[in-house]
Amino acid sequence: MQLIRKLEPIWWLLFGAGGFIAAFFLPGLIIGVLLLGPSELMSSGLSYSRAHALASSPVGRLFLIAVLTLVFWHCAHHLRHFMLDLFGHAVAPIAAYGAYTLALFGTIATVSAVLAL
Amino acid sequence: MSSAHAKTPKTPTAPARKPSGFPLGWYRYRNYTIFAATCIPMAIAAVELLLGVAALGKGEEAWTAWLATLSAPGLRALNAICLYFAIYFAFRFGWVGRKIAAGRIGPISKPPLPLSILGIAPLGGFVTLWLIVFVILGGFI
Repeated sequence: MQLIRKLEPIWWLLFGAGGFIAAFFLPGLIIGVLLLGPSELMSSGLSYSRAHALASSPVGRLFLIAVLTLVFWHCAHHLRHFMLDLFGHAVAPIAAYGAYTLALFGTIATVSAVLAL
Repeated sequence: MSSAHAKTPKTPTAPARKPSGFPLGWYRYRNYTIFAATCIPMAIAAVELLLGVAALGKGEEAWTAWLATLSAPGLRALNAICLYFAIYFAFRFGWVGRKIAAGRIGPISKPPLPLSILGIAPLGGFVTLWLIVFVILGGFI
């Protein structure tokens, strides 16, 4: 746990940045892609060629990496503290290492998926 | 080492315990707990979007198939829940933000607008950004 405590400013920085990014962009992405993606309304906007062009542009890649990775880190930090609130400090190591490991996997997966575009 | 520098014994304290009524017994605890729980649906939405990016990288067939899976009723319901919690998170995040003042020296001047309006302004900003994202994704401009 010493390492986790030593790196606390970094977890906080990622948590705060992720909170801003999630508030700015996540609902728009959920509405536009996850909810309305299969509908007729988005059929031309999210056609393969257009979606690929948007996502694989330098700005698109940066946007996807920033949004997805920071949301993962934000959620990991929130989940860690949520577990502490619910189950007490007995779960502190598993909450911290478990949550941040998941976020690390999410980050690696996001960067690999974006670089493969 | 002199006795003045000797390590003082730790003050004995009672073991930490949860406040009575936590996590859902009082409206402030409830709001706090719901806000903390937003991390789960938001992470689910991010994983779904990541799967979409991966499908996009695999080619047109994978992308079309991934979009088609989103129309399954179960996934639609899950995504609606994710949206609800993502909006709840954003609004609470913005609403709490109005209470945070930058550190300053000297007397605090009166805000130019009432706090209720200053609180609503960032929420309007969030909604505008969501609309911009939606318009760009849909290719409406």
